[in-house]
Amino acid sequence: MNIFLLFGMGLFSLVFLCLYRAVFGPGVLNRIAAISAIGTKALVILLLMGFIYNRVEMFVDISMVYALLNFIGTITAAKYLEMKGEL
Amino acid sequence: MISITDDIIIRAVARILIPFIQVYALYVIMHGHHSPGGGFQGGVILGASFILYLITHGLEEAKEKMSELKAGLLSTFGILLYSGIGLLCLIMGRNYLDYGGLSTILKVVPAQARSLGILGIEIGVGITVMAIMFSVFFDISTGGILPEDEEDLGVNR
Amino acid sequence: MEITVLVQTTDRAFEILEKARDEARELLYSSAKLTSETKSLVEKREARAIFSDARQKRLAIRNFIITTFVLFAFWILLSGRFDAFHLILGIICTLLVSYLSHDLLFANIRVGDIRIRARRFFAAGPWFLGQIFSANLHVAYLALSPKMPIDPQIIRFKTKLESDISWVALANSITLTPGTITIDIREGEFFVHALDRKVAYDLSTGEMEDKIAHVFMEADHIYIQDVLDVSRIFGALK
Repeated sequence: MNIFLLFGMGLFSLVFLCLYRAVFGPGVLNRIAAISAIGTKALVILLLMGFIYNRVEMFVDISMVYALLNFIGTITAAKYLEMKGEL
Repeated sequence: MISITDDIIIRAVARILIPFIQVYALYVIMHGHHSPGGGFQGGVILGASFILYLITHGLEEAKEKMSELKAGLLSTFGILLYSGIGLLCLIMGRNYLDYGGLSTILKVVPAQARSLGILGIEIGVGITVMAIMFSVFFDISTGGILPEDEEDLGVNR
Repeated sequence: MEITVLVQTTDRAFEILEKARDEARELLYSSAKLTSETKSLVEKREARAIFSDARQKRLAIRNFIITTFVLFAFWILLSGRFDAFHLILGIICTLLVSYLSHDLLFANIRVGDIRIRARRFFAAGPWFLGQIFSANLHVAYLALSPKMPIDPQIIRFKTKLESDISWVALANSITLTPGTITIDIREGEFFVHALDRKVAYDLSTGEMEDKIAHVFMEADHIYIQDVLDVSRIFGALK
């Protein structure tokens, strides 16, 4: 069994813990933090998938896009809440 | 209206990150035939970089880099590039967007002409997607009312 | 009788006229002086404006060139293709991005310092890694011990750093160290959430701030380090 696959499955199960916080979490801030953490985990899972399929240079590009859009999305959500005055 | 953020960390990080995001977006557009990505994905990243600038530096400064007029012109220019290449193929006696016909203009073998043709198409798509992304975000964030219009309409916000 | 009155009135009229003439002359003189003064002031200001304009333009061009080089290195790192077609595409793209955002990357950095900063940054790297490692162990101990002896507190301190980039570097290295999170920076005042008393004490000794100040060549550390460098060169010359 591939060690990358093992680690990927472990991270995948951790995503569900974050998903619980994102769905039931009290308040908007918990949800935003949970979504951001899920994005970070998805990034690492993508890199591990690159190792599994032996196409790392391809999956690095995808994970970088994921990191950038995750960062911008979190900031945009925070800005929206700040402008709306819900904090 | 989005004003400049008073958080110094976000402003400094965005300031340093934006040029790299833009280079990365152009890399995704230009290397669409070697690695994942292409015109649409690169255009989305390029638009996201402008949106990040708008969020962190406010509407006033963002209008100097990318205004609504510029976005509209760029979106139509992208479509012009796309359809222009397609029509050029049609004029050369092939089907619409059949890039093999460009080989006589570019003076290369048809395979390379196909590669260059699809690069031009992707640049056009990227420009259009970037401009439309920015334009949509601009319209939603301002509610369609620009600050200079507010005085005319007497809107208080 | 009437003649004397007439003479007196004419005398007084002449006096008044003379006084008026003197006043008018003084007024004229002062106004001429004022105009010359304002003229010289305006000329000086124009000269200064031209000078600062030229300096700003030179700075912008230098920023443009350096941004282009940095971004082209990034492009090479991403692309990994060295045929002429992709290199020319890269040059075009980096020039476009530098034109779009040349005022962003090096907004307020003195360009000559970059090499020294990079060297000091890499020299300070192992210290930061060791700090993060020991803090990790401490936080793991806190989390795993059954009594959970945490003592959360928010501490605030005024920093001696000056530029925004060094503030951000300090804030991010505080956040990167487990147990402490930077909440806000407000006009040079840091608000930091610490997990327990030991972590807060480690932060308040200001060792990390000193390191950052050394890397970014700020505050008192410039002078000490400069004196040390100069003394070494002086010793070598001797």
